Amino acid sequence: MTGTVRSPCLAESINTALADLLDQDPRLVLIGEDIGRLGGVFRVTRGLRERFGADRVRDALLAESTIVGQAVGMAMSGLVPVCEIQFDGFTYPAVNQLVTQAARVGGRWNGRISPSLVVRIPTAGGFRGVEHHNDSNEALFARVPGISVACPSTGEDADQILRYAVALGSPVVVYEPIRLYWRRSSPPRSAEPARSPTAARVVRRGTDLTVATYGAITDEVLEAAHDLAPDVDVEVVDLRWVAPLDMDTVLESVGRTGRLLVVHEATKDVGIGAEIAASVAEYGHDALRGPVRRLAPDRRAYPPGDFEKDYMIGVREIRDEVLVMTK
Amino acid sequence: MAVKSLSENETAPDDDTRRTLLRHMLVARGVDEEARRLQKQGVLDLWPSCEGHEAAQVGSALAAGPAATVVPSYREHAVALLRGVTPEELLAQWTGRTFCGWDPHRVRFFPYTMVLAAQTLHAVGYAIGRRMQGLEDFVVVYVGDGATSEGDMSEAMNLAAVESASVLFVVQNNGWAISKPAEEQMRTSVAERARGFGIASAAVPGRDPETVFAACSRAAAHIRGERAPFLVEIRVGRINGHTTADAQEVYRSSDDIARTKAADPVTGYADRLRGQGLVDAAWFAAVETEVREIRERLTKEYA
Repeated sequence: MTGTVRSPCLAESINTALADLLDQDPRLVLIGEDIGRLGGVFRVTRGLRERFGADRVRDALLAESTIVGQAVGMAMSGLVPVCEIQFDGFTYPAVNQLVTQAARVGGRWNGRISPSLVVRIPTAGGFRGVEHHNDSNEALFARVPGISVACPSTGEDADQILRYAVALGSPVVVYEPIRLYWRRSSPPRSAEPARSPTAARVVRRGTDLTVATYGAITDEVLEAAHDLAPDVDVEVVDLRWVAPLDMDTVLESVGRTGRLLVVHEATKDVGIGAEIAASVAEYGHDALRGPVRRLAPDRRAYPPGDFEKDYMIGVREIRDEVLVMTK
Repeated sequence: MAVKSLSENETAPDDDTRRTLLRHMLVARGVDEEARRLQKQGVLDLWPSCEGHEAAQVGSALAAGPAATVVPSYREHAVALLRGVTPEELLAQWTGRTFCGWDPHRVRFFPYTMVLAAQTLHAVGYAIGRRMQGLEDFVVVYVGDGATSEGDMSEAMNLAAVESASVLFVVQNNGWAISKPAEEQMRTSVAERARGFGIASAAVPGRDPETVFAACSRAAAHIRGERAPFLVEIRVGRINGHTTADAQEVYRSSDDIARTKAADPVTGYADRLRGQGLVDAAWFAAVETEVREIRERLTKEYA
């Protein structure tokens, strides 16, 4: 064990970033269920209504299509809406507005408008949430042209991603892992900065095997990597974005290590891991010393709380998989 | 051509306005006929005809005035032309060249939205956004009866009501959601439904553009005065199929189709103004020349 380090938690970093952005840009407006008076069910937007007013920190109707649909209209009017969906599993009523409208508005207007629109979605499990409160549906949007999808695993990255997203000129969905919102200690990471706001980050340098991962489970991957050292030296790539995917960083890493394991919390089939594996098979085959493998839950619904430990990928499974691949 | 706007309390059109209404209806009809002809030739991929909707579209658009921002569905060709979209621009997307042939900012007429009722939430959000920026816009959103079954329509009405958004909902009820008749779509009128959401509303017949013009002028005055939404449901006849790809003869009786054609708002209004001596043969000849030139231009551009 290498232990853990104290770091600002995700919720605080996002709160600070949103406050800064509201302060700097009068066009910015927040829309979401219970984000104002309550400060959000996770308190991510705590204090913002008091500071910036109910007009700019808007308690939305409990209707997700309304949240994103009105945001599309607001973006057309010149505002920069940052929406919050309360839980990942409640995103689906807004999918039509995101996929058929937000993603296509710029093209439909022949580039005459390029609306920035951010949708923040608390995501992933591990906290005994009831049905629909533990989903990971990032792959759904990752394959929609016109939508960028970010999956930060630290407050620092969330901050950078949000500041980039509000100025992008096209919609960005940001998945924020619920179990990281208030976590204050995490495995140590390399301080190496990302090459660009949309680039992946090599969060641990290693020589024997690359793990590409993203989101909350990045902490488990890092813990497994630290556990395995010095017998196996694992390199960890935190993708940070799943659309666009920074395959350059993944391929360069695989070029150094010769082995790739993809780990994610979303179910395996037709997922982000499949896309990465296919790209490495296409463009990095010569570097591979063994087959690319994926570690992710089977294709089934997120189970009731009593069974989530069986469902989720833990540190032990990651260690075991790495050992199998490097033996 | 200039679009006239009226003072808030004036609702009955004057004679110039009546001639303007008819002229826009005749031009829209000519463009629609040419588009249908070009579609038969394979030049257009598809065309959702607005024949039968002209009085509703021209009456509402003229009443809304040139300052309003229009958020259309996909059949508001008469509104588009009245707002200054050129016939060439209007047809461009149906020939496969683009998703929107005009500059939406220039004419304040947004791109067509194919996904039913999605634009209703955009319209309300746009109105809220403009108000927040101190630019109170008057937004007119068009939607058909079939699309009012979509959840987004109900969500947009509720949002507009609770936000008191300056939005005029214009529902063109042509009695058919492609093949599903209105009586199988709803147990009440859309106007009545709007009142359930707390939105003032009116239901008017859509054959006479003056009736529509008066109702929409009153609605616009309400919206501007109260800074609150209003819904006008206009009953129209759908002369052709849902689009050129729709064979309405399969599901619609020939009597019904014949009755709808006989109640054509364009010929009806032309006969009326001619009978009243407001327009004469020379006036019609001038409009016919204009329409013929438009049709020739469209053929030259696309055929």
